[in-house]
Amino acid sequence: MKCPLEAKRNEVLLAYGSRKLDGGDLRLLEDHLESCPACRDFVQAQRAVWDALDVWEPAPVSADFDRRLYQRIERQPMSWLDRMMRPFQSFGLRYAVPVAASAAVVLMAGLLIHRTPSPLPAPQRDTAQMETLQPEQVELALDEMEALSQLSSPVRADKADSKM
Amino acid sequence: MEQRVNRDVGAGVTDLDPDVELMLRVKDGDGASFGVLLDKHRLPVVHFLYRMIQNHAVAEELAQEVFLRVYRSRATYEPTAKFTTWLFRIATHLALNSLRDGKHQRMEERLDDTSGDLPARQVVDGRPTVEQSMMYRARLDEVRRAVAALPEKQRAAVLMHKYQEMEYTQIAKVLDCSESAVKSLLFRAYETLRARLAHMA
Repeated sequence: MKCPLEAKRNEVLLAYGSRKLDGGDLRLLEDHLESCPACRDFVQAQRAVWDALDVWEPAPVSADFDRRLYQRIERQPMSWLDRMMRPFQSFGLRYAVPVAASAAVVLMAGLLIHRTPSPLPAPQRDTAQMETLQPEQVELALDEMEALSQLSSPVRADKADSKM
Repeated sequence: MEQRVNRDVGAGVTDLDPDVELMLRVKDGDGASFGVLLDKHRLPVVHFLYRMIQNHAVAEELAQEVFLRVYRSRATYEPTAKFTTWLFRIATHLALNSLRDGKHQRMEERLDDTSGDLPARQVVDGRPTVEQSMMYRARLDEVRRAVAALPEKQRAAVLMHKYQEMEYTQIAKVLDCSESAVKSLLFRAYETLRARLAHMA
């Protein structure tokens, strides 16, 4: 005879064999087990496994487990975040962050109120001078060079005449 | 959007799981809450690791590493799942790595080492006879060998299902697989165990 549980057979029987089935499901399955030898055998074997596993009880944890753990924790290098947060740890990070944020806002507001009206002069740099060179300055420099060359050419002509 | 979903999930988990609330306090710098979590989970974690590795000293060493990682991760902890899911995920990861690295004794040597098990007198009522002690030892040895013979993932699934009483969904999260994969792992594992241990009824 084909077992009506078929599709969910393993799951239901495993739950029953592991004593994890209750309520209406439990009553329905117990009724079914009376008429299904295959499921009955499965459940008996699963119960035997469950009880055999109960035999295995490990020894208690070593008495110095916690002491060794806390020693290892103490030896851990402290991260930069921990170092920063250490002063706040007595009253918790949840409160420390809003308090620090509020303090920062107050500080910023104070700085804005007392700020001097005149801006500081920008620092002078060589590259900045190159960038701010105006066309008039270039023109002026060219004019000066031309004037100098005009002044020097009669001098050269005078020298040539005297040699002759 | 994703962050909001995570936060909502986190809020739900916090409401249901007092351990998550304790871990959030550890995150806030409350060392005493870490002590409470350690008290509560020290034994289940050590026993889970012992049953996985079958070496008491290595199991305790790995359990220390588990709690050390929990403590070190406190600043970045986010309550996206039950605390025990996270804890056993770390423990399982360390156990599987340790087994694969084979840093400790060979399986046969581990099975011969019974220092990590309770002696018969502590589990049987009254003073056991020599015969009872020997029978207990033989049964225990058979159980240990049957569990040790399971593939690693099947072993982890059975130990969490049997001894930690975890649901399929939680085991799936610990092992990072689907619920149907967990059911398949458990069915195969119990099938093997039934074949080896059913005669012990």
